[in-house]
Amino acid sequence: MKAARTLAAAMLAAAACLSTGGCDSGPKPPPGVLGDPGRGKLALTQYACHACHKIPGVTGSDVYVGRPLEGLAKRRFIAGNLLNNQPNLMHWIRDPQSVYADSAMPNLGVSEKDARDISAYLLTLD
Amino acid sequence: MPQARSRSIAKTAMWTLVAAGGIGAAVGLTVFRAGWYNVGATSPHFGVVFRLLEQAMRYSVRNHADGIATPPLGQAEALRGALVYRDNCAQCHGGPGVSPSTHGLSMQPVPGPLVDASTKWKPRELYWITRHGIKMSGMPAWEFHLSEADTWATVAFINRLPAMSAREYRALTATAPAAGQQGGMQ
Repeated sequence: MKAARTLAAAMLAAAACLSTGGCDSGPKPPPGVLGDPGRGKLALTQYACHACHKIPGVTGSDVYVGRPLEGLAKRRFIAGNLLNNQPNLMHWIRDPQSVYADSAMPNLGVSEKDARDISAYLLTLD
Repeated sequence: MPQARSRSIAKTAMWTLVAAGGIGAAVGLTVFRAGWYNVGATSPHFGVVFRLLEQAMRYSVRNHADGIATPPLGQAEALRGALVYRDNCAQCHGGPGVSPSTHGLSMQPVPGPLVDASTKWKPRELYWITRHGIKMSGMPAWEFHLSEADTWATVAFINRLPAMSAREYRALTATAPAAGQQGGMQ
């Protein structure tokens, strides 16, 4: 009886995952990081980040136009010589040309809220 | 009774298969008819489905482009191609330092950059994809909208993209006259 109830609960959870397309409560970003990593994981696909970057947890092609973002949270620097912290990452995501005028990474018009959530997700990648 | 025994085994196997097929079909029909599959572009494919579809596309393009003769693609073609690219491709694919427009950002599958396309595709394959498009991907067919020469010019330009800086891309696509939309074939 108990086993049947557990099974039913698991099936319900699986069905919920399939219908919403997002199951994982996901890994948590380091302390002090603001924003919603779960929403960020979806948001980054709506700005085509995964078109150029390989991003763990995001379905996409094997692409190396931009740097793979695996282990981003462990890096000391991003975009060459910016210290790796959330404000810098958001700044780089929102306006790469202000860091390098000739950057091949375009300005994708990412809002502040979306950049916060996207950076929150990327900072879970260790 | 070895004969009767093997007949009973065969019968059991057959009915098991029939039952499994029937249950499978019923489940499939239910999922299909109830609309449980999410067609929304915010819901990603399972990784294995994505890879299967992508690989099928590769094999299909390779097969269908086989036998297409590539004309000489030089500087003149690449320069012309830059304008065709700017007017027809950059909206979804972007370019070095240039974002796609909004509608190109959130499509699924994502149109993606073409700066590495010539490392993945032969010129005749890029020509075939441009001319015929890709079903269910959002990539349109240009056969009736770009001339033969402009299609090859686009391929010539895409071949130059891997070595192109954002500054060079800006310069090449800034040239004033819009690429002609002659339409039809030459």
